[in-house]
Amino acid sequence: MPSDKRPSGRRTAGRIRHFLALAVAFLFLAWFLLLAGGRTTPRLPFLQAVPSVLRWWGGAAILALSALLAGRAYCSFLCPLGTFQEALWRAGRGRSAGYAPGSPLRYWILVLVLAAGAAGFMALPAALDPYAIFGRGVTQLLRPPLSGGIDRLAGVLESRGIYGVIPRAWQVPFVPLLFWTTAVFFLLLALWSFRKGRPFCGSLCPVGTFLGLFSRSSLLSVRFSGEGCTGCGECETVCPQECISLTEGRVDADRCVLCLRCVDSCPGGALSLSFGGKEEGLSRRGMLRTALGGAAALGAALWALKGDTTLPAAAWPREGKNPVSPPGSKSRGNFTKKCVACTACVAACPAGIIRPSLGEWGAAGLFQPVLDYRRGYCQYECTACAKACPTGAIGPLEPEEKKLLSIGKARFVRRNCIVRRFGTACGACSEHCPTQAMRMVPFRGSLTIPELDPSICLGCGACEHACPAQPKAVTVSGLGVHGKIRPLSGAGEGPVVAPLEEFPF
Amino acid sequence: MDRREFLRRTAALGLGGAALLLPGGVRRSFGALRGLPGLAAVRGGEPGEMFDRGVAALGGMERFVKKGQTVVIKPNMSWDVPPERGGNTNPALVERIVRRCLEAGASKVYAFDHTCDSWRNCYRNSGVEEAVKKGGGVVAPADSSGYYQKVSLPGGRALKETSVHELLMECDVFINVPVLKHHGGAGITMGMKNLMGTVWNRGEFHSKGLHQCIADVSLFRRPALTVIDAYRMMTHNGPRGTSERDVTVLKAQILSTDIVAGDAAAAKIFGTDPKNVQYIRSAAEMGVGTMDLESLGVERIAL
Repeated sequence: MPSDKRPSGRRTAGRIRHFLALAVAFLFLAWFLLLAGGRTTPRLPFLQAVPSVLRWWGGAAILALSALLAGRAYCSFLCPLGTFQEALWRAGRGRSAGYAPGSPLRYWILVLVLAAGAAGFMALPAALDPYAIFGRGVTQLLRPPLSGGIDRLAGVLESRGIYGVIPRAWQVPFVPLLFWTTAVFFLLLALWSFRKGRPFCGSLCPVGTFLGLFSRSSLLSVRFSGEGCTGCGECETVCPQECISLTEGRVDADRCVLCLRCVDSCPGGALSLSFGGKEEGLSRRGMLRTALGGAAALGAALWALKGDTTLPAAAWPREGKNPVSPPGSKSRGNFTKKCVACTACVAACPAGIIRPSLGEWGAAGLFQPVLDYRRGYCQYECTACAKACPTGAIGPLEPEEKKLLSIGKARFVRRNCIVRRFGTACGACSEHCPTQAMRMVPFRGSLTIPELDPSICLGCGACEHACPAQPKAVTVSGLGVHGKIRPLSGAGEGPVVAPLEEFPF
Repeated sequence: MDRREFLRRTAALGLGGAALLLPGGVRRSFGALRGLPGLAAVRGGEPGEMFDRGVAALGGMERFVKKGQTVVIKPNMSWDVPPERGGNTNPALVERIVRRCLEAGASKVYAFDHTCDSWRNCYRNSGVEEAVKKGGGVVAPADSSGYYQKVSLPGGRALKETSVHELLMECDVFINVPVLKHHGGAGITMGMKNLMGTVWNRGEFHSKGLHQCIADVSLFRRPALTVIDAYRMMTHNGPRGTSERDVTVLKAQILSTDIVAGDAAAAKIFGTDPKNVQYIRSAAEMGVGTMDLESLGVERIAL
């Protein structure tokens, strides 16, 4: 038994690492589960790779630097999807078959992801970003049963006259295609992980591959050192990445995630986390690899910096209804370029109107959210989605800024209006309009009919949602570039003070 | 048919018609018999203080709430705006009413509203949720169709049935606490319009004729007391308002045992002849209440 020779109680680095990773993954789980109602939430996803790369042009460089320093430690400490796979593997088999060489396919995936992102085809990066995958997994697969359970519990209490002890959770919009895609993906990933450590990290993940381009030259790495190796092969079977070759006495640094399991389990203490001593140095291969990495980082930076070429509303066709992007997304171009469809905003929206799209942004923007005014309307003072979004696709947005932000424009079709068609009072649109862009003006007799002032229309959809006519007499079309309305008259002024002097009856 | 027969029949029809109106009249004369006014109008004070004076003039809280009864208070908290904007019922008034109900022996006091803006934001930012809790009441949600039960409105002209919040059906005492506001669609909103927040399908009101539906829904359950908050009165851009500029600090309040009379009095304060507000006229015709304030007995109080 090799483990008998292990100096007991000393090798716990791997276990501590695993505990930390679980804690981080748990935080992300809680974040996606509890994120709701514009509640101020810690900005956790800002720690994630792809959101950082998209948010700021220097993000990719920082990520590359981190890999030069500590290899792919990101994968085993901060990535919740990595921890998910490893936890499943440990719960299941917990052993791998031994060394397997890395597949070159992963480089092609990285190139394709970068190219797709740069070309504005976000569906591919969105499908492969581990952070976004994890987010969708939580909001699509865990949140519905949880909120269903909470609602049932609240219902039981309410039937006994106890209100408000457990507030009802509201449902995240259910999009069957997204649900089934996510469910099938996670089912396959779970089965694969049971058998094979971190399969996504090793062969698919573009973030891992990117980090791997630098990790061969990293300052910190797991290496064979000294004479302690007995050739027992324990390290090969505990490695979730299958990247330790005993025969060659080598750890493939481009796949090693520094999980430290091998360090913990090596009976002879032959494997250790060591500083310096670059494995590749200035070899041709190493230079090529680093050059490729540099190009990838540069590509990612250019992607983040890519200019916004969205055409302003005037250039859009007047007929037809354009999709509305969330407030704070600035423009269709900025939004669709940066959104990885993690569904954080979908879960955060207290009105429940942010819905993963099904073609509104084209095939390239599949599942990137869109505002669905059939479900409700964008709340005047709310900036929940902007607070939740980690990639810069939405926000930052101050409440005062939000009140003047125009994300779309209403279009009033008078011939469909209830007041005109049936000669009865309505005004539901104007009632809900926070700026009175829809205001009621005299019509026949004592009736009033809406009149639209587009210059103060926010495009919030309150009018469209409230309109009881079929077909709707007022609909909102999204603005390609979000605008600003003029300040409302009377804003910032106090009330009229005129106490009633005598009763008029 | 000779002339005498014709006159007899006409008289009989007339008497029969008068008899149809009787139940409402009888009901209203009860208060008068006990020498209590049916409507109190108060001005010049703070919301809670005006309520205390008004309800004392109507015979005290004990006239409306008996020991052990459950009470539903229906404030207007439909909009995600702070109290200064006058879009929702004054929180201080709601708190005082909840407290007085409990002091009168109510076993439980509930408050809810089927809001227009996102309900959590409305409940919180209107300040009403906190006020109800401070007064000792319970804030109930009204955001899901599961809370509503189908009821028929036999006398309804446009609305024959609708779904009403379960608490309104179960409670012993119903107190309606609207705020007086301008309303783009209905002209003015106060007592009867506030009942739209007790039903699930609000959109139906707009498509079937807003005024008649408002009158119809007030047939379902007449509140024991309607307290119309006119401390801050939104004079234009209602019902949501766009700024504090839309609001006049009026410092007035109407308390009425008859919802139609309460609305008629409030309309006059707003500067509108109640006869020109279609839902008030319809409700009066349907016998929900009366527009004739003096028949109720009016107490005018200046602080």
